[in-house]
Amino acid sequence: MNKKTPYILIMPIVLLGVIFIFGVVNGIIQSFGYIPAFNLVNVTLSYYKEILSDPTFLDSLKVSLQISVISSVLAAILGIILTAALVYTGHTEGRVLQVIKLAIIIPHTIVALFSISILSQNGLLARVFYRSGLINTQRGFPLLLYTKNNLGIILGYIWKEVPFVAYFSLALMSGINNTLGEASENLGASKLKTFLYIILPLSMPAIRKAFLIILTFSFGAYDLPFLLGATVPKALPVQAHIEYIHPNLRHRPYTMAINGLILAVTWAMAGIYYLVTKKGRVKGDIHEEF
Amino acid sequence: MNSKRFISLLSTIIIALLLITGCGREGSISKPPGDNGMEAVSQGFNPDTDFDQILEEAKGNTVNFYGWGGDEDRNKWLRQTVAPILKEKYDITLEVVGMDIDDILAKLAGEKQAGLEQGTIDMIWINGENFYSAKENDLLFGPFIEKLPNFEKYIDSEDEEIKYDFGFPIEGYEAPYGRAQMVFINDSAITGETPRNTDEFMEYCKKYEGKVTYPALPDFTGSAFVRTLIHDIVGHEQFSDMEADKEVVKKAIEPALEYLRELNKYLWNQGKTFPATSGEVDNMFEDGELVMTMSYGSYSVAVGKEKGIYSNTVRTFIFDRGTVGNTNYIAIAKNSPNKAAAMVAINAIISAEIQATQFEELRTLPIVSYDKLTDEEKARFDNVDMGEGVLPQDELLDKRLPEMPANIVPIVEEIWLEEVVGK
Repeated sequence: MNKKTPYILIMPIVLLGVIFIFGVVNGIIQSFGYIPAFNLVNVTLSYYKEILSDPTFLDSLKVSLQISVISSVLAAILGIILTAALVYTGHTEGRVLQVIKLAIIIPHTIVALFSISILSQNGLLARVFYRSGLINTQRGFPLLLYTKNNLGIILGYIWKEVPFVAYFSLALMSGINNTLGEASENLGASKLKTFLYIILPLSMPAIRKAFLIILTFSFGAYDLPFLLGATVPKALPVQAHIEYIHPNLRHRPYTMAINGLILAVTWAMAGIYYLVTKKGRVKGDIHEEF
Repeated sequence: MNSKRFISLLSTIIIALLLITGCGREGSISKPPGDNGMEAVSQGFNPDTDFDQILEEAKGNTVNFYGWGGDEDRNKWLRQTVAPILKEKYDITLEVVGMDIDDILAKLAGEKQAGLEQGTIDMIWINGENFYSAKENDLLFGPFIEKLPNFEKYIDSEDEEIKYDFGFPIEGYEAPYGRAQMVFINDSAITGETPRNTDEFMEYCKKYEGKVTYPALPDFTGSAFVRTLIHDIVGHEQFSDMEADKEVVKKAIEPALEYLRELNKYLWNQGKTFPATSGEVDNMFEDGELVMTMSYGSYSVAVGKEKGIYSNTVRTFIFDRGTVGNTNYIAIAKNSPNKAAAMVAINAIISAEIQATQFEELRTLPIVSYDKLTDEEKARFDNVDMGEGVLPQDELLDKRLPEMPANIVPIVEEIWLEEVVGK
């Protein structure tokens, strides 16, 4: 291993990073109405102003926040329970882990397909209920998808994100369980007490990070809200896409302004996360591992 | 972070940047082998050149045809019927690339922003508001259609749909490709009725409450369906020269909006939400969750029956006053590297021969003018078996309503989202 090796190794990610940043900067520039190719050359804030006063945008913002906060909080809680179950039953590696990884690999569009074929009024569950006489018609099955409360989307995200949270925090939690956890139990603490006072607090850094990732992801992702969401109000990324495919290319700055605002909200989330975690951070403790 | 580390990091980023810009530059100067002479030709390509010379220039080239790739039958037809004809007759290789028109426009726009003079797209399957936008933003090459020998030979240049695309003058920037018309589809074994106007349609929805819906706008099919309803309620004439202003359009379609809001009560999920795509509506119809669907492919019932998707009792119907129909077209990208070959390919596609295969294999209404065909060619079109459960071509063409102007369509879609859904 040469001293330069690490720099060569990070080259691909830097390359991709630079391309990504270039795209983002380009989009932000366009959001101020500067696209010379379409004869738009006046830099202005008016697109942002218009969008911020547009009720459609505000509804979409609300929907997106609702989806991402609810699904992420639930996914984090269920994820912790799943991790704890795996740690206490000793399934921290091997086959069970592969199943969890599988859930992470499956793309969101496939999750949407699963949801439609299982949860729709014409899906598997509705058919089973109808056949078994629990409901009179298939339409008697509650409408879970395409609704204004976005239940379908939230369920889809939870399905995807619980394994993610578990996978993300498993190594840390199992490490703590084997060391400090055992020590605590040796000293006479009950399992529950050990979990609540030792393992959970020490695992929080990984869980918090996982939470931040799924929170920002579900706020900015497009596929599930597009396939399972209500017609109006649409989630922000779907709304941005609708603006993007607007046949008039000079409409493009509106899209980019929405994207700019999505970015701003995501940054705000990350900022809040930073402030919250900064307070509780102790120098040199086990957190630094993650 | 010490300064040495910082310098290393900085140099990594700089090298990465160099690599990227290096790639970019390389991309713009590299040409396919043996293409050296071609670039100069297509750079200053002149469509006024004698067509024989264009044929000569086109030889040995590859054209990339970008368009919606969701129709497997059409892809198959392009690859197995059109491509061999082009190869054999003109020594042109046809590459079909499936891509949604929004993405094609985004790609073209991106290439234009990057100042790329040699793009990747040659031919584009396009129409309506997308053509309007592409032409307005100078993304298309032309005018070229009058230079095509087969345009003069087979096409009626006085036809409204040859002169205007969604009310927007074509001016030779795109050549006709096929005709489409909105049709409604239901199953006579499930519902005996075939509503002939919007009033009957309302009754139909009341009777089969919760079992009718349409794709949410701006889905292509959903949008055309709503325009058909609007035409039936307020007529279509007034839109042809309407100002593209939201208030004006809203006032004109107010009775239709009221109708749509009333209709909501009887639709699937009470019109609170609509399926996002026409594919979902088709699936729901096939599954029996809906009693009716709609299609912009006039003969989709026959095709569906042949594939075994539809039962024998499924049939096509339209309103007495007609349904919207449009022509779809092929345009050439302004930065196309193979304009000569693209022109030759388009010339071949508008010939009676290829149009006849399109009619036979895909049941797409041809764009050639029947009167201009030879008896032999006429016989070929006449002998096509249209299949079961469809309407004859003359009935469709007879009840064909023109599309709204391209710049009105997005306004209608916007108004629908604000005034109809969930109201």
